[in-house]
Formats: sequence, structure tokens, C-alpha cells
Amino acid sequence: MNADNGITHSINLDDLQRERTRLDINSEEIALTVTDFNLFYGDSQALKNISIKIPKNRVTAFIGPSGCGKSTLLRCFNRMNDLIDIVRIEGTIELHGENIFAKAVNVADLRRRVGMVFQKPNPFPKSIYENVAYGLRIQGINNRHILDEAVEMALKGAALWEEVKDRLDESAMGLSGGQQQRVVIARCIAIEPEVLLLDEPASALDPISTLKIEELIYELKSDYTIVIVTHNMQQAARVSDYTAFMYLGDLVEFDDTNTIFTNPGMKQTEDYITGRYG
Amino acid sequence: MDKSGIGHHISQQYNAELEELRSRVLAMGGLVEKQIADAVTSLVDADAELADRVITTDYQVNALEVNIDEECTQVLARRQPAASDLRLIIAVIKTITDLERIGDQAEKVAHMGIRLADKVRPKNNYLEIQNMGNLVKAMLNKALDAFARMDAEAALQVAHEDANADHQYESIMRQRITHMMEDPRSIAQSLDVMWASRALERVGDHSRNIAEYVIYLVKGKDVRHISLKKMEEAALDKR
Amino acid sequence: MIRKWIKSGNPWIWLTAGAVSISLLMVVGVLGLLTIKGLVYFWPNDVVEISYQLKDGKQQILVGEIYDEEHVPVQRLRDAGVAINTDDKFVTRYLLKTGNRDISGSDFRWVLAANFIKQKRPEELAVIERREWGNLYGRIHALKQNGKIIAEGDKAWPALQASILRVIKLFSQIHNLEKSEIGEVNYELEQLRLDKRRLELNGETDPQVYTDIEKQKKILKAKYSKLEGRLTVLYKKMGRDSYIIEVMDGKKVEQPVAKVVRAFRPNSMGVMGKLGHYAEKVWEFVSDDPREANTEGGIFPTIFGTILMVLIMSVLVTPIGVIAAIYLREYAKQGPLTRTIRIAVNNLAGVPSIVYGIFGLGFFVYFLGGSIDQIFFPEALPAPTFGTGGILWASLTLALMTLPVVIVSTEEGLSRVPRAIREGSLALGATKAETLWRTVLPMASPAMMTGMILAVARAAGEVAPLMLVGVVKLAPSMPLDWNPPFLHLERKFMHLGFHIYDVGFQSPNVEAARPLVYATALLLVLVIIVLNLASIGIRNHLREKYRSLEQ
Repeated sequence: MNADNGITHSINLDDLQRERTRLDINSEEIALTVTDFNLFYGDSQALKNISIKIPKNRVTAFIGPSGCGKSTLLRCFNRMNDLIDIVRIEGTIELHGENIFAKAVNVADLRRRVGMVFQKPNPFPKSIYENVAYGLRIQGINNRHILDEAVEMALKGAALWEEVKDRLDESAMGLSGGQQQRVVIARCIAIEPEVLLLDEPASALDPISTLKIEELIYELKSDYTIVIVTHNMQQAARVSDYTAFMYLGDLVEFDDTNTIFTNPGMKQTEDYITGRYG
Repeated sequence: MDKSGIGHHISQQYNAELEELRSRVLAMGGLVEKQIADAVTSLVDADAELADRVITTDYQVNALEVNIDEECTQVLARRQPAASDLRLIIAVIKTITDLERIGDQAEKVAHMGIRLADKVRPKNNYLEIQNMGNLVKAMLNKALDAFARMDAEAALQVAHEDANADHQYESIMRQRITHMMEDPRSIAQSLDVMWASRALERVGDHSRNIAEYVIYLVKGKDVRHISLKKMEEAALDKR
Repeated sequence: MIRKWIKSGNPWIWLTAGAVSISLLMVVGVLGLLTIKGLVYFWPNDVVEISYQLKDGKQQILVGEIYDEEHVPVQRLRDAGVAINTDDKFVTRYLLKTGNRDISGSDFRWVLAANFIKQKRPEELAVIERREWGNLYGRIHALKQNGKIIAEGDKAWPALQASILRVIKLFSQIHNLEKSEIGEVNYELEQLRLDKRRLELNGETDPQVYTDIEKQKKILKAKYSKLEGRLTVLYKKMGRDSYIIEVMDGKKVEQPVAKVVRAFRPNSMGVMGKLGHYAEKVWEFVSDDPREANTEGGIFPTIFGTILMVLIMSVLVTPIGVIAAIYLREYAKQGPLTRTIRIAVNNLAGVPSIVYGIFGLGFFVYFLGGSIDQIFFPEALPAPTFGTGGILWASLTLALMTLPVVIVSTEEGLSRVPRAIREGSLALGATKAETLWRTVLPMASPAMMTGMILAVARAAGEVAPLMLVGVVKLAPSMPLDWNPPFLHLERKFMHLGFHIYDVGFQSPNVEAARPLVYATALLLVLVIIVLNLASIGIRNHLREKYRSLEQ
């Protein structure tokens, strides 16, 4: 801060006039709309009447105890739940107004539009280059020039380019956990999805790698709608704009992250984030 | 939320830490209350010895503030408290600042007590100071009580009473100014009384601040620098 | 005290360690026995000349290699009517390989050490290895060329060596001529005959075609007689020399040099000379064709047949097993039916191999092979082409036998590919098939290799079913040669395991062949070890490459 200008000049006093710096879901553009969504594993109900709007170009975090259904809901966004035979669903999830469970929807296309990163880094046992190019090769793109460009863009997007640009042909398995997870994210953004689903992306990583991933999430949100499931409440608090708290298949509370972490509306949320038994 | 809200953490250690913190704040509050009471008594009863004791005891208040502050820092660093726990820590940090200032004010009053002790005593024997002292003592007591019970309504009352304290201060001022005009020999004495009442008025303000922190702690709403009416809305907001 | 010891768990450690040591001892024992017994076979033993006391008091000169030695109770020998001048309870007796089967009638002779009068190792005693009748022991007397003596006494030996070299050169020329050139002409003639027969069967009436074939046949016949002429010349050349040898009873015998493989004088050889001879013999063993009903010469065709059969089997069993496993694990709905199939597959692994042999004979050879002959090779009938045992059917039979192993281990490998990897691929918009092909299968490849290793290990050592479906004692031609289509799947072949059985139990001269059995067994073990090591190497390489989330 410049001594001549004085402190007051660097702060916009008009901003301070606003009473609250809260985000308002009602003024956001919506990417995913979940309406009256129920999900059953056989006879047991895993998701109960969930309705939620996920805003575009924001980071939305799902928190809640194990088995609360947050990962299950996340997996519904790109229909990974299809992989389990006994799952039955009711209600709709719309991606930009289009029901993703409609018969006409091609699941592979949907998954290209809604990318997913998993808990454990799961790079394929191939070179870094081939990992990132995988999604494009699946789409039948084999032109070396296009691939080179896409791989570089994706790795830069995942803040990994500088670290691996000289060893693209080495196996991705040789990278550290944090780097592997960023390869996975690069692999995901190489196919330019609209939504990025992150299922506990840093739970298997050390704190420094975790921070790198979090920083990356912050940078990615200008281009992607990000939905993150995490067990780490501090992480949700750090990275997200909105936070949803789920408990036993119910969506208990959904609000902007500041509110959830300073003054949650529901006692269950309060108990969970302050570490009390409910 | 009741006071038992501090408990019930899955970590018993965490419970114990927060409980310890809360009881220290209350202990500090008690100490400060006693300081104010003693200071006022010393002034009213012309008890210089008691006043001296108030002044020498102030270090205890300061020490408690430093101690509680450190403990809060530790909880913040180790536990990363959220929601009500976070608000509790914030409220505690702010409350102890105000309590320490109240302690300073008590010291001021005690100084005045020493100076007034060997001067001619007025007929009413500083009844106005006694009254005002009682008023702000009650406010502080109520504010601490609200903190202990996490009672937003009681805290709201403290805020209301602050107006009375201001009122009394003004009337003491007027009274003393009249005195000074009537009898210029009493100017020195009057100034001391005005200083003491000024200090007690500040105690009232600090008590109100504490009450505001209690409302923040309980309701999660920042009620500083807003009208009483809005504060009332916030404090009585049922959720 | 004891109870405490038992409680400490030490007995358990001792028990387990004991089991390991026993297994280890047995493995080392087997390998050691095979190695010692097998490798000794190639070592040139000294030839001894013994003055031997016969029963009637006469003396006899015996010449030969001491082959074996044993201690026998005197009483037993006396009971058998053998006269012995000794007071000991036991006597040593030696098995003497005297050779000269064509002259004296038998190769071996037991002699009692007690009856030795004198034992010498004269340097000039020679061992002659022959293409027929086994070894000849004796003193070279003279070398004859076209019936005339050209070298005698000391000069006879170097002259004989030179003559042998010449004969061997000629022999290999003859061999080449017979195998490649004449073989080729014969093959073409046979093909021509089959062509003609096929045309007849197809009802071809154009006489022009037949005249063409006749013309070709004439050309080939001309070629054949020319080659035959060359062959006769070569044979004549080879028959030029002969040598005179004095065998043990002083008789002088004339023998053709043409039949000699090698002549050497072990008593005059130094250690280096013996080592050189040893290496030469080992090389002959692994690279040459067998002679004399498999009891002499090399065993190259059997090594070749074994390896080729195992390779063909691997090529057949791996894709089938892998594809079956993929269906079972990835596509089939898991339920009672798949469980039943799995149980059935697992149980197949326990069926005795001879049963597979019978199945192979009945189904592959008679049914499939017979049908193929009917449809594709009617011109060769009644001689069967595929309708008899052959390397294809043997490989198929073994493939069937080892299929369960491949299926089970591939399934195991597929189930070990982490879910996260599949989901990662699916989440990128890959279909299930794309995911399988691009990620899951490469990652399961080490397990497939493991399956193949187990299959190879089992198949390479199997003999019983092969005897029914294509292995023979002596195959006239190898299943892989220079005549198109190069790989002849219908041909019969030789196999190391069967060779051991044949040499060890079916040979006319079991005693002479016994070391050969050990050597062959050792080789079989080595071949299996090499096959296994190669597969394990490939598997470890793959495993390293795909070592992923398996921590």
C-alpha cells in the first residue's frame, strides 16, 4: 500500500456500504436443476426428495456424514448410477433445462458434458500424454496436431504443464498423488465439459497437494460449473461458493458458504459442522 | 441456544476447552464487576485503602485478558471452529477486550476515589455516583449473565438500559456544571466527580457492547451500530 | 515347559520351515539326479582292457567302458553257479560296456572284480561311434581305400580321422540332397498326384488339363532321376574307404568308414580333449536327429516338436480363454447360470489328462479331422490328412485341457482392475467396450500371462493324451519346413516327454539308453523352465508397466 495515497484510497468505501456480501442463489444462472429427486437401492431409499439448483460457474460443495447420499447424488449428475443394476430413480435432473434421464439422451455424450474426478487419483497406466488425450481419442480424434494442442491446453488448465512438459511420454503412474489427481483433472477438462464433478478429489492427498487442487478449483470456476463432494469441511469452506448439507438422504440445508459456516439455519447443520453429535 | 450448547462435541477435549474458556470469561467478568463495585464504594465511602486495592488488582484483569486471548488463539489454530463455536470465540475475544477496558475504568474511578477521599464531602455523600455505579454494575452483571446463559433477550435489555446510563451521566453533568457555577471552589471536586461519572458511563457502553456480542453469539447477527429497533428484531428473531 | 514352548508358536515355525525344507530337498534331489545322471552320459569314459578269469580257468581279454558298479553278496552269486575265489561276504561287480554288438552279440557284460587278473588302459584303444550297431571298441589296424591298404600301424589312426571327416562331409551333402532337394521333388510329385485326383473327383473332363499334369510329372520325374543319380555317386564316394580293427578277442574285422560318426581314443585324451569331446557330444545331442531307434544321436526333433506344440497351444488357448473370461466377468449377468459355468470350468481343470486324450481322439481326430478330410482333402483318401493324429489336434487337445487355467486367471485379473479405472474411463464418455479394450484388458494382461504360464507349464509336461492324438516315436518330417505352407498342422511330431517314455521303456537296448533317458528328462525340465521363464519375464514386464492402484 502506498503511503501517499493512504489506506482509505485503496478500499472502495461504497462496497463497505453494502450491508451483506452474501451470494444470492436467486440471482444466479442455473446449470443443474434437481427436482423432487428420489433414488432407491433396491428397497432402501438413498436420496429423499431432493430439490436443488446448482449455479453456473460457481463451486458448489456437498457436505455431510458418510452415507448421507452426497456421492450418490453427484454420481447421478453424469449418470454413473446407471452402472449399478439395482438403482431406481424418480424425479428429474436437468442440465441447462434438458432432462438427463430422458430416453433420447446418449449417456456417453452426457458424460462428455459432465466430467468427473474421483476420490483416489485414477490415471490410466499409460503415458501422461495418452491419459490426457484419452477422452479425445475416444471421440475418434487422432490428429497429432490437434491432440498436442489439446493436451497442452488441458495440462495448463490443470496447472500441471510446467511440471510435466518435458516428460509427457512417461507413465502417469510415476507422478505423485497430487500430480496424478491433476492429470485426472486435465484428462477431464481436455474434453471441455460444462460441469466438473469432483468426488472428494483431495481426500487421498497430502496437505500441500490438497491446497494445489483447491487453488486449481478456484481457477477453474470461471470456465466450469464445479460440484464438489468432500468430507473435509474446512475444504468446503475454503473452495466453495455454495454449500449443501445432506443428512441421511435428505438435503438439510443449502445456502451460500459464508452463511453455512458462520450461522447455519438448521441445528443439524450446526451440529455437523461444529462436530457435535446430532 | 442454551448454555449446554457448548457441550455435545464429539471431542470431549474440545468441550472441555470451550467450557474452560467460557468459565474464565465469567470469572474475569466477576472480577471486573467486583472492581467496579469496589471502586464506587471506595469513592462513596472515601475509602482510600480500598481504592488502592482496586488499582493494584487491575493487573489481574489484564493478565486474565492476555491469558484468555492466548487460549482463543490456540482454539482457533487447533480446532478451526465453525458456526456457533466460531461465534463463541469471536464473542469471547471481543468481550474480554471490553471487560479489560471496564477494568481500566474501574481503576480511573478508584483514582478519583483517592483524590476525593481527603476533600470535603458533599451532603449527599456522592449519592449520584452511587446510583450510577449501581446502574452500570447491574448492566454489566446482566450482560455477563446473558453471556453465561446465552440469552439474547436479556442482552437486549442491557442495550435498552444503556440509554438510562447515558441519561444519568447527562444529569450528573448538568448538576455539576450548576455546582461549579454556584461555587467555583468546588470546581476541582466537581471535575473529579465528572471524571468518575464519565468512567461509569463508559462502563455502561462497554456492557452494551458485551450485550451486542451475546446477540451475535446467539443469533449470528451483527447488531452493532444499528438502531435499537432493528436490534430488537434481530434479538427476538425466532428461528 | 513344553506347554510354554508350544504356546510360544515356535513349533509352528519349525513345522512350516520343515515343510519348506522337504519341498526344497525334493526339488533339488530331482534336479540333481537328472543333472548328474544325464550329464555324465556325454563324458568319454576310459576304455579298459581286462584279463579276466573265466569259470573254467581260462583267461579272456575284455575291452570296454566300465558303466556301472555294484556290491553283491557272494552267496547269491554262488547260488547262481558262479565260481568265486574269495572269503569276503560281498564282492564288487562291474557292468562293462563291451560294444561290438554286431560281432559279439551283446553290448554289456557283468564282470566280477575278484576275477580280474590284470587291468590296463592302453592308449591305442579306440572307440568308434557308428550309425548302426552301436559303439565299436578295439585297436585300429589299417585303413583301406578301394580295397587296398593305404595306411597301417601308427599311420592308420590319422588316416582314419581324415577319412571320417571326408565321409561326414559327404554324409551331410547326401542328407541335404535327400531332405531338401529330393524331398521337395517328392512333395511336388505328391501334390501333383493329389491335384490330379482332385480333378478326377471333381469330374474334370478336359484332357488338356491331364496332359499338362502328365507333362509336369515327367519334368519332375526327370529331375528326380537326375538327383538320384547324384545321390548314387555320393554314396559310392562315401563307400570308398574301410578300416580294419582288432577287437577284444584278437579278431580283425573290416568295417566301412561310411558308417562311422566319430572315432576317438579316450585313454590318450587329456582333460581339455575330453571337455572338447564332451561339448561336441552335448551339441550333437540337442541339435541332431536320433539314430538307432532313438538310442543314439540327438533329440532335436523332439525339442522342436515340444516347443512348437506348446506355442500353437498357447496361440489357441489364450484368445479363447481370454474371450470366455471377458464374457463371464464383464458381460454375463452374474447369477446361478454364470456360477454354474464357473464351477464347471473349474472342475474341468481336475479331469485326468488321458480323458482329454480320448476326447481329442474321438472328437478332434475322428470327427473333426475325418470331416475335414471328407470335405477338403477327398483326393488323399483313404490316406487320412487331418483324420489322424497331428500337431494341430495335439495342440487343440492340450488347449482344451489348459483352458480352465486361462479362464480362471484372466477372470481373476479382470476382477482386480480397480473400479476407479473403469469409472474413470466411463466418466470420460467411453462406452463399455471402449473401456474394456483401451484400459481394462491391458491392465489384466499380466494375469492373462500368468494363466498362459500355468497352461504352458502343464502342457509342456503332458504326455499321456498326446500319445493318442499325434505324437510318434519317429516323425519322418518336421511340422515346420521350407515347403509351402511351411507350417504343416496335420503332421505328426515328436515330443520330449514321449521320447523319454519310448527310449526308457520301448527301446531294444534299455541298458544302453538309460543315461539318455536322464539326459532327455533333464532337457525336458530345462525346456519347461525356459518356456516358463520367458513367460514370467513377459508377465513381469507387463506388470511393471501396468502396476497401478494395486498398492
